Amino acid sequence: MSERKVKRLLDTPPLDEEAEERVWETVRAAFAEREPLERPPQRFRLVLALSALAAAVAAAAFSPPGRAVVNAVRRTIGIEHAQPALFSLPAPGRLLVAGGSGAWVVAADGSKRRLGDYPQASWSPHGLYVVAAAPNELAAITPAGAVHWTLARPQIRFPRWGGTRSDTRIAYLTTSRLHVLAGDGTGDTDAGGLPAAARVAPAWQPTTADRHVLAYVTTRGRVIVVDTDRGSVRWISAGYAGAHALAWSHDGTQLALAAKTKVVLFDARTGRATTIRVEGVRALAFSTDGRLALLRHRVLLLRVGGRLLTLFAPPGAIAGLAWSPNGRWLLTELPAADEWVFLQTRGGHRILAVSHITAQFGAFPSLSGWAS
Amino acid sequence: MRPPAVLAAVPSLLSAVRPEARAEPDRRESAWIRDAQRGSTAALEHLFRSHWPRAYRTALLVVGDAGAAEDIAQESFLAAVRALDRFDRRRPFGPWLHRIVVNRGIDWARARALRRELGADDAPEPAAPEREPSAHGRALAAALAELGPEHRAVIVLRYLLDYTPGEIAELLELPRGTVNSRLRRGLDRLEAVLQDEGE
Repeated sequence: MSERKVKRLLDTPPLDEEAEERVWETVRAAFAEREPLERPPQRFRLVLALSALAAAVAAAAFSPPGRAVVNAVRRTIGIEHAQPALFSLPAPGRLLVAGGSGAWVVAADGSKRRLGDYPQASWSPHGLYVVAAAPNELAAITPAGAVHWTLARPQIRFPRWGGTRSDTRIAYLTTSRLHVLAGDGTGDTDAGGLPAAARVAPAWQPTTADRHVLAYVTTRGRVIVVDTDRGSVRWISAGYAGAHALAWSHDGTQLALAAKTKVVLFDARTGRATTIRVEGVRALAFSTDGRLALLRHRVLLLRVGGRLLTLFAPPGAIAGLAWSPNGRWLLTELPAADEWVFLQTRGGHRILAVSHITAQFGAFPSLSGWAS
Repeated sequence: MRPPAVLAAVPSLLSAVRPEARAEPDRRESAWIRDAQRGSTAALEHLFRSHWPRAYRTALLVVGDAGAAEDIAQESFLAAVRALDRFDRRRPFGPWLHRIVVNRGIDWARARALRRELGADDAPEPAAPEREPSAHGRALAAALAELGPEHRAVIVLRYLLDYTPGEIAELLELPRGTVNSRLRRGLDRLEAVLQDEGE
């Protein structure tokens, strides 16, 4: 066989442009996470500096003896307003948290109101109500604590509220069954014809139209987007191993899925998937202006215009994500340090830490949303 | 030696693989490496884009699986990023990357041969339909599948990437005679299979 013929044959395999883009995203993210030996550009240096500063604070706070020097360290490295308690939120809005000590609403001035023994909760679409779940009860409550209705159901988890100001729906899971009911607590329906749901919070598509579209993950790792009014399935994705979190963009055009080895962005209309190769993303959330925060075990990444930036990389595990309603601040948690950390992502690069979270809530809570 | 047609169509890609250009990196590539070492994402992207086509194609020809080829090419670039600060700018980037790609490809192919393949029910569905290979591509895949990964690697290094047998011996840390015998045996086997396929 001639060498020429072999060469011609070896040029046959087509190049995969989508693979090239996926790999480039991953390589770029890895490059952003590395610390170059030589001086980085100004902007990148700032991000690294912020991560390093926060890492130093968190490391000091992990040990009780170290806590005594935390404030001094914070002053030295530039973290402003290091607070021993939550005196105020850095942006307007109200924060909802829930956990072992129940559900709480935190106002912008730092005042807190306990809503009851509900370990899970989420806001209604416009922040007028909270839907809260105890193991065998679903309840609609005002932020002032007035209970509007309750519904007894077994093993409720992941209550989520969606819809418009005039017509809302609530979705929740019981074991692997998906349920949908009206916002007034009536018409509870088991979506019996649909595939069983995985232990992943369902997500309502944000919309101004009078329709109710829900995304959920099946036990086989597929994403199903269903029009709950018509009972019709809009699209079903391929299966993804380790699928465990969903988030819609605020304009409702994109749906993000965190899976074991990747994040998948779906076009809301067609279901067409674009993959971002990032391993181990445990939570994700869109800001109001379309930036996507990705939470890994010890790294908080921000996807801006197709680029992944490292926003925060403390030495300990981080948990939870909540964007402020104005999209300027991102709140995350350092459970081992018993701290919350507010990261300014627009209009400045401040980091505000709040200590003694457990003492303020009775148990370290999970972030459930920051409403306007 | 005439370059393969696809390389001739992309002149900017040729400099990194032509034997005469491999002794030293071209200035543009050196500048990209230097700037990437200083933190320039744009420089890294130039480096990535210029080396991606052959890194991916090399992996694909060695392992015969598009998904695995993507993973191998990705891991190779990630290894390059991790080692970027230690990289000697006086040396060309291509051979270093190709060595990683080929060795990882051989390792992957050996590992696959040892483990049981999943049943159809266990395999995840692709996120998008995979491209149907051409008849030409199927014949090549069948022919290459007849070879062991070590033979495929030598063939690809020689006839896709244009390395000399001496350079291949250095890259794979093999005796030159072994490289020559693998080339000969690989070509013979390819010829036999492709004749059976009617090529």
